[in-house]
Parts: sequence; structure tokens; C-alpha cells
Amino acid sequence: MSSPAETSATSQLEPGSFRDPESRVFYAGDEVYRALSPDGLSDFEALRESGLLDDERIVRTAIADDTAALRGLLVHEPAAVLRHERVPFVSYPYEWTFSMLKDAALLQLDLLLAALERDLVLKDSTPYNVQFKGARPVFVDVGSFERIREGEPWVGYRQFCMLYLYPLLLQSLKDVPFHPWVRGSIDGMTPAQMRALLSFRDRFRRGLFTNVFLHARLERRYADRPEQVKQEVKRVFKKELFVANVRKMRKLVERLTWNPPEGVWTAYGERNSYTDDDARRKDDFVREVATSREWGIVWDIGCNNGRYSRIAAEGARTVVAVDADQGPVELLYRDLRADGNDQILTLTMNLADPSPGLGWRGLERKPLAGRGRPDLVLALALVHHMAISANVPVKEFVDWLASLGSALVIEFPTREDPMVKKLLAPKREGLHPDYELGFFERTLGEAFEVERSERLESGTRVLYFARPKRG
Amino acid sequence: MTGLLAYLDPGSGSMILQIIAGGVAAVAVTAKLYWGRLLKFLRIRKDEPEPPKAEPARGSE
Repeated sequence: MSSPAETSATSQLEPGSFRDPESRVFYAGDEVYRALSPDGLSDFEALRESGLLDDERIVRTAIADDTAALRGLLVHEPAAVLRHERVPFVSYPYEWTFSMLKDAALLQLDLLLAALERDLVLKDSTPYNVQFKGARPVFVDVGSFERIREGEPWVGYRQFCMLYLYPLLLQSLKDVPFHPWVRGSIDGMTPAQMRALLSFRDRFRRGLFTNVFLHARLERRYADRPEQVKQEVKRVFKKELFVANVRKMRKLVERLTWNPPEGVWTAYGERNSYTDDDARRKDDFVREVATSREWGIVWDIGCNNGRYSRIAAEGARTVVAVDADQGPVELLYRDLRADGNDQILTLTMNLADPSPGLGWRGLERKPLAGRGRPDLVLALALVHHMAISANVPVKEFVDWLASLGSALVIEFPTREDPMVKKLLAPKREGLHPDYELGFFERTLGEAFEVERSERLESGTRVLYFARPKRG
Repeated sequence: MTGLLAYLDPGSGSMILQIIAGGVAAVAVTAKLYWGRLLKFLRIRKDEPEPPKAEPARGSE
């Protein structure tokens, strides 16, 4: 066991990195490190010698010289420490859109094929090993690479099915978002569960009979014979078979598609092209704030089609664009990907039910606010959805924004606004008395220093720029 | 490195499946090869000059 004296006062273990005994991630200062066991180090050296480490799809990594402070972090004593490039903002598969999970899956398979060519393998297949730099997926778990062993099958195949293939199939075939499933189970969907969701007809679709139906059946049949199976597999399994299986999986994943409903496409295009006076003034307001200084991380919550995320990106290092509606976020991701954007990270999440801490001790996956505070938050055309649709009291929403400790651009649509009227229409008369301009302004003023505000031409929308209190 | 497998449980059924799925692929490749030979034999497809040997196959014998 480690005693406090053995670990550096400033270093902090990443609580989500404990499953693989050969490597462990920790932080010291602003840097990300990975301690390696002796076996882990040998694997890392094989990776480095293969040249694959320099691949731009893998996170920048170098050996760090100082290992004295790290005793006791691993089951074995660390043999070496790596320093990783820091990902601007950590995200998880249950926050990605369909195409993001698919791109992460293809990255996983492509790196596995590249590894196999060099007599290496990836020891697991979890999407938590992929992060996004803007619209570009990056593989962050360098500790996943190891030297291939004779007769070794694709160990990560089952995990690939459970966390990549089945969630993608669910959304692609059934139009059911995979997010609640992936968020609800850290290991993903089992073959038996996936099988139960498919119809008789589905077994004739490409790849489904083997990867779902047969998989579920064999799992049940061989569950109590692991030792026997292991010996048999070792005897007959060849690398060629491994490569063939991965290639087949790649073809299958490549074919999977999902598209947002037609209305989303129309709205996405329209909102990008609107040019009325309100929109122009809103653009200017956001642009003035965004470019008034250099912002580190900007959250655009309720980003919709990303119009203001793009404006914010003019003055920010990283923009996290979040919306509860997956459709526009998916289309935004596709556009950003086509542009090669590595600045705007798209996520889909309901802010009235944001990602919690998950996994062992609730610490393996961090809640949204636990992954680095924003410097500026854009909350445009959002407060009425939170207050009226999600019934979050206005004061609580403002207090939550204040708890982030960041500057804020917020838009308040008044009760006369057509959208607000529409949201209020099905509700009982007299509900949401706190949704009122005067009350909102008082609440905002209590929690923030309001620097400036502007009422848009139409008169039903007001914009504010506010700074956190206490400097 | 004593154990065959890493920290992750690959699943017994999942391993068997890979052999079966791979077996199907192997049969398909073999069939394709013989189909090509048959076409050549029947003079439907012309002989192509032998491509230079890329790398010697690692034989098991």
C-alpha cells in the first residue's frame, strides 16, 4: 500500500484508470502522466520501436524523466512514467452523437489493424480510450498497446460489441438513441440483451447473425467452460484469423448509418442562414464578448446548430457545444469534421439531467462540471426551456450558472416571446410566476455583476453579459 | 508473460465465435481461389503474369 509520503504532494491519481494493472494515469500540476509496470514498459518500447506511437491519431506521448515521486501508484513498482498531451475537454461516449461513436469505433479498428501489422495488439476495445479534439477522435490509452502472443484471439472483441457495435446497431436499426444504455451500464450491452432487442428478420441482415445471434448463443453455451475453451483457442487461433475478423468488423461498422429526422435538417439550414436584424445584433453581441479577450474554454449550452459556438471559437481556445437534441449536434459534428475543426467539441446532453459521476465509487466517469471549469458560458435561448419545459426554478438555474464561476452571456426571452408562449400554452394558467423579466434581472444581479445588456429589436429578447461576483 | 489473456475477460463464447466466423472467412477465401483456377482452366479468364513475391509466407512446417 502507498503511504502519503511516497506519492508526491501534488500528484493525483485518475480514479477512472485502475482496470489495467500495467498502467495508471495520474495528474501533477497541469500535466497528465502514466506510470507503467515493467511489462507495461516493454510493451511501450515495442510500440515506440514500431513507429506507431508517432501516428497522429494517437495522443502525443513521451517518456518523463522524473519517476521518484510515483512509488506506490501501481500494484507493481513503476518502471517508467510517460507524459501525455492534455486533451482540452474530456467527454464520454454517452455524450457523443452517432457519427462520433462510429468514428471512434473506426479509429479503434484502424489502430488495431495497424498494430497487428507490427505484431502488436490493443488489449481492450473501450470507447473510453478515445477522446475528441474538436471533431477529431484521438486515441488516448497508449497503455492499451501490447505485443501479440501466439494463439491469442481478439480479446477485446466482446467489449467492442458491447460498447461500440451494439449501441451503433441500436440507433442505426431501431432509431433508438444509444445514450441511456451506455450511460446506464459502464460495460455496455450484453450479446443476450442485444439479441432480445432484434426481430426475426434482423438475423438475415449482414453481420447480425454472427455478431449478435450466434454470439449470444455461444456465450450461454460455453459460459461454464472457460479453461477448456482457452486451451482450444490457443491451439487453433492464427493471426490471419484475427486480422480477417477485424477487417470484417470494420466493413460492418462502416456500413452503419443514422440520420436525424427531416425537420432537423430543414431547421439546421434555416437557422444558419437567417439574417434578420435580431439575429445580426445577437451575433454582434456574442462576437464582442467572445473576442474581448482570449478565453480558454467556452461552453455553449443549448448550442443547437452551433452558430454561436463558431462565433465563440473566434476568441476561444476550445468550445464545448452542448445540446439535448442529438439531431442538430450530429449535423454540426459532420460539418466540423468536414472542415477539419479541432476546436469545437460537440456533445449531446440534457442539461436538466446532465452526466453524473459514474462507475466505481462514482468516480470513474466525471460529472460535466468536474472536468474543468469553463471561462465563459453562453446560454442563448435556453433559460425558457429549462424553466418552463424542465420546470427548473429560474433562481436555481441562475445559481447553477454562478456556481461554475465563469463569465456568462445569457439570453432571456420575455413572456411575450412567441416561443415562450408556445411553451406556456399547454400549462395551467399562473404557473411559472418566476419566469418574468424583472425577477430574472434581480436574480441575475444577485449572483453576477451584470456588465451590459441589450434588448433586441423585436423587444421580446434581452441579452446580458455578466461576470462572476468577487472579481 | 505467463497467461494468454490480458486483464479483460474475452468471454468463452466470444472466442469460439471468432474461430467460427474466421472459419467462414477462410472457406470463402479458399472457394474464391478455386473459382479463379476454374475460370483459368476453362479459358474464361486469361493467365496473368505472376506478380513478384511480396514477402515469403511464414510456413508452419
